Amino acid sequence: MRDFSYLRASSAGEARQAALQAGSTLLAGGTTLLDLAKCGVMEPETVIDITHLSGLGGITLDAGGATIGALAKMGAVADHAGIRAAFPAVSESLSLAASAQLRNMATIGGNLLQRTRCSYFREPDVFPACHKRNPGSGCSALGGVTRNHAVLGTSDACIATYPGDLAVALAAFDAVVDLGGRTVSVDDFFLTPGNTPERETALQRGEMITAITIPASAAAKNSTYLKVRDRQSYEFAAASAAVGLEFEADGKTVRDIRVVLGGVATKPWRARNVEQALVGKVLSAETVEAASRLAMEGAVSHGANHYKIELAPRVVARAILKVGGLV
Amino acid sequence: MTRTIHLSLDINGRRHELDVEPRVTLLDALREHLALTGTKKGCDQGQCGACTCHVDGSRVLSCLTLAAQVEGRQITTIEGIAAENGELHPVQAAFVEHDAFQCGYCTPGQIMSAVACIREGHAGSDDEIREYMSGNLCRCGAYNSIVAAVREAAEMA
Amino acid sequence: MTIMEPRKHGDASDGTVGGRQTRFEGNLKVTGGATYALEYPLEDLAYAILVQSTIPAGRVISVDAEKALAAPGVLMVLTPDDDMGLLVASDWGGNRPDNQPYYPLPRQVQYNGQSIAAVVAESREQAVEAARLICITYEKAPHVASFNDTAAGEGKVMDNLTAGWGDAEAALAAAPVQIEGEYSTPREYHVAMEPHGLTVKWDGDQITVWEPSQWSHGMARSYSEWFGIPYENVRLISPFIGGGFGSKGAALAHGAVAAFASRKLGRPVKLALTRPQNFTNYGGRAATRQRIKIGATEDGILQAIVHRGASETSTYADWPEQTGAATPILYRIENFSSQHRVVPVNAVTPGALRGPGKNPSAFGIESAMEELAYKLGMDPLELRLKNYADHDYQSGKPWSTRRLREALTEGAEAFGWSRRSHEPRSMRDGKTLIGWGIGCGTFPVLQAPSEAMIRILRNGRVEVVSGAIDMGQGTYTILAQTVAEVFGIPADQVEVHLGDSRLPGSAIAGGSMLAGSILGAVHKAATAARDELIGLALNDEKSPLRDTGANTLTFSGGRVAAPRDQGPSLTLSELMAALGRDEIEILRNTLPEGATAQEQHQAWTSMVKVQGPTMGEYSMHSWCAHFAEVRVDEDFGTVRVSRIVSAFDCGRLYNPRLVESQWRGGIIMGIGQALLEEGLVDQRNGRTVNSNMGDYLVPTNADVPHIEVISVGIPDYGASALGGKGVGEVGIVGVAPAIANAVFHATGKRVRDLPITLEKLI
Repeated sequence: MRDFSYLRASSAGEARQAALQAGSTLLAGGTTLLDLAKCGVMEPETVIDITHLSGLGGITLDAGGATIGALAKMGAVADHAGIRAAFPAVSESLSLAASAQLRNMATIGGNLLQRTRCSYFREPDVFPACHKRNPGSGCSALGGVTRNHAVLGTSDACIATYPGDLAVALAAFDAVVDLGGRTVSVDDFFLTPGNTPERETALQRGEMITAITIPASAAAKNSTYLKVRDRQSYEFAAASAAVGLEFEADGKTVRDIRVVLGGVATKPWRARNVEQALVGKVLSAETVEAASRLAMEGAVSHGANHYKIELAPRVVARAILKVGGLV
Repeated sequence: MTRTIHLSLDINGRRHELDVEPRVTLLDALREHLALTGTKKGCDQGQCGACTCHVDGSRVLSCLTLAAQVEGRQITTIEGIAAENGELHPVQAAFVEHDAFQCGYCTPGQIMSAVACIREGHAGSDDEIREYMSGNLCRCGAYNSIVAAVREAAEMA
Repeated sequence: MTIMEPRKHGDASDGTVGGRQTRFEGNLKVTGGATYALEYPLEDLAYAILVQSTIPAGRVISVDAEKALAAPGVLMVLTPDDDMGLLVASDWGGNRPDNQPYYPLPRQVQYNGQSIAAVVAESREQAVEAARLICITYEKAPHVASFNDTAAGEGKVMDNLTAGWGDAEAALAAAPVQIEGEYSTPREYHVAMEPHGLTVKWDGDQITVWEPSQWSHGMARSYSEWFGIPYENVRLISPFIGGGFGSKGAALAHGAVAAFASRKLGRPVKLALTRPQNFTNYGGRAATRQRIKIGATEDGILQAIVHRGASETSTYADWPEQTGAATPILYRIENFSSQHRVVPVNAVTPGALRGPGKNPSAFGIESAMEELAYKLGMDPLELRLKNYADHDYQSGKPWSTRRLREALTEGAEAFGWSRRSHEPRSMRDGKTLIGWGIGCGTFPVLQAPSEAMIRILRNGRVEVVSGAIDMGQGTYTILAQTVAEVFGIPADQVEVHLGDSRLPGSAIAGGSMLAGSILGAVHKAATAARDELIGLALNDEKSPLRDTGANTLTFSGGRVAAPRDQGPSLTLSELMAALGRDEIEILRNTLPEGATAQEQHQAWTSMVKVQGPTMGEYSMHSWCAHFAEVRVDEDFGTVRVSRIVSAFDCGRLYNPRLVESQWRGGIIMGIGQALLEEGLVDQRNGRTVNSNMGDYLVPTNADVPHIEVISVGIPDYGASALGGKGVGEVGIVGVAPAIANAVFHATGKRVRDLPITLEKLI
């Protein structure tokens, strides 16, 4: 880890001001920053500790939805009874992420900014080529060990998977990221790599996530997060799905459905085509399975990650059937 | 240019003064600067749980925590949970009784995690214990005994 | 002789051999008081970090260390340009070339991740930062990334591993039922929780090394030979070791680097491998593949087994992971043929990892046996019992003890095997397919000479002293129990000193050979010490027991007395006081009488005196049978092990509580091997890309169900002085095939290449 100077911010304004400096980075839970600093991927000159700021860790709920302060810990949000009642998928996505210790450290704002687990991204000394780390240098993952790489939203420049769980659930319910001066929807907050894989989010230098707002909805209240992985716990998703569902009054026709995939794409992958295929339909195993396959429209495999194209629609289908009360 | 900063850390109810570089983690501060080596380094990248200790009563990984970050917080390590007279904490005693370790290297982290797991209310069933103790890897494979020890300590608590 | 500080005991509830005494050093381990190798505070410590190659093959042209040397706190950079003046040390067999220079930072690059340079600085952080400033220029050479690489070729036959009897090919051809399959296992890693590393300090030409070790004497020898100093000048200290699983039995290049740096700097040096370096710096289990053909009669009597296996090795040493190790001895087989090859690739030389050889071998034969059972339409349990080996068909010798039949039948009973439905995919719970499978395991009994010292102290305590290692198997505990039994005292009246090369020599803590070997020496020494005390007590004029007229004494309940209540009874301390003795010290070993000093040194520091399983009249092995239940999600292909029952014949158990822990540990590692563990190699540069604990997956608590373990063994006094056979290795052997067989039963899909990941089932 490169040497850096440490600044403990006394206000959000001070933190933002300090973060305007090139080479400076905000430190919240530290679970991504310190990890990547040790890997030599992130080399901040100044670390601005915002964990002691007050007023940014609250969780408030009303009929309109929830507002979660950026410094709220993952674990606290996961265990929050109101969140669990109004947004089960959000709560589950957090409970199924990382470990209890990491959830006690990592903040909600920081979690959104979690960076890819691409092995090539994480080992700069062995694999110097990485457009995300060093624009223009190439992509070592292409042609390498790709079992965990994305099949959706990829480009010739980057196939790194977005690894998080929470953002997948947030994207399903049109959550909004509050950047202090402006707001961005979670869906727009994350960028696909295109030719600029170094740009991962809409966050600009000097900006700081202050809160996340999730509008209440019937679909959010009847939702789930399904995560499939090799290991039972403490692992990133091989494929995951956040699904919320609202029926018409008849209790079987879909009025509103939200489907977002995780573990298979370069960003939380909202499958609007799946949603559109099901709205107005009577939910059945057959309609769900057919619609779920649409989620892989445009999917590209790179060899060892081909299984995700098979797996992900099954995860989506199971999650829909679960919230639909069919399994 | 190496800069050191002065820190005053509250560890196991005692104040410790040290001068370290800002990049020094809580784990390295404990092990290399304060001779508190009960907290173990297994991976140094947040993937094993061996370095688990408590900050303000909450279990965290000290390898991904800067020492500077926790100035002003209450830190508890494995050295700080037995009674003053040396009597073991109930979780420690249960670990010995159930043989919940072999080599002992993951053990301090397991115990710190277990104490918090019980306090959090996540020790309600064997399956819940398994899930909420999964952030602490044990390569010797003492998991059955760890679950038994946590269950017993939770029942006593 | 230096005696280390006594350790606090656990509760002595059942302190004799065979009792369930809790772990002797338990309190130290649960309080953070157990001190591991990197935890010895030394004044003026410097920190070293390794720099490793990023190419798989070639030559180092130059190392530019200028920037690193200019970085804050940097004290030294070592590169291939530094001639450290070291000599190659002996191999495991004690063989050593004359005056061959040793380069722990070699110029020739033979694998990706090989140590090329080292940086020493005032702090670990400074060394790590400076290490990234080192610039290495290479001349690259073509490489072979793995034995699946087309350039790898067929490798070379290991003649010493070729076995055969009868006419296997003819009997196979004539057999009415035949099956054939190729089974493979990937590179697997130890992933001990404690990373490798050491603290080292010189005092003149004396060196002290604090390093996790499975073999204090063997590793001390390497340091003495590298540096050309007398063996006595080396002290290797390892009272606690955070897991080894085969990886910490030998001193490695980084130890030489740290020791050299320390000597050159005149300061103690601490060198810790990073977790990723623990994947590249030393070898795990080699990748293997094996083709097995079995011929049988229609009623399931084996006629022939033909086995052809191969494993990866490095380009600079032949390390076979013997795929034919279990194949010849599990079943009655009249016609057998086996051959094993090693295929050199650009990887670090593989090493021993729990159940070496036997483990991948059992994956092959035990998978193949179930394939045969399904081909025959026969219960796999019945097939195994039907082909039960009444003796060792390979050596022709009778078994010393073999309770594999009992393991199979009692394990089946506990598991409820009789309720099984034979057809694949015939058991389900909604979307979850359920399957049951069996896998048998075995590991040979190895014996090594060992030495122990007993000291009866005036305060009535008894010390047992040995260089043996406790890495969690329970050495402290069973030594205390043995001594407690001999002296009729509670185990907490015993002090145990271990893990120091200056203490009496011992078998390695590996190959499941330590417990049986060291207890032989401890029991012998303790008995001799007791006899000496008896002699003094009966003959010394100051002894209150002299006039009892007894010709021996009893030791029970903490007191020494004449038999049949003749006269007084004394505690050990009272007796020692009466005799006016401060201590009685006895050293004994299990070498033949009259072994020379050189033979003793050789015995403690090499493997030449190790006895294999068939070197005597009998064939001696531990045995086990695992019964696994899996639940497979039909859509996702995810496998969860929901139940395991394992029955073991490991002879007499010195402490069942600790043995059960070791068995479960082996089984859990087997679960990882079956479902999760796989070193993923980038074929383009030979690098293992998942070299960390987040990407190389080992089981978490949530992956492990309750595991029921059963002992069906009986004491085997041919295997060891106190009747035990090996415990630690055998637990993993047979687990992976049991799970693979259960997966087949659940899904109808036969996965022959480990691990059984979800993409193989969807």
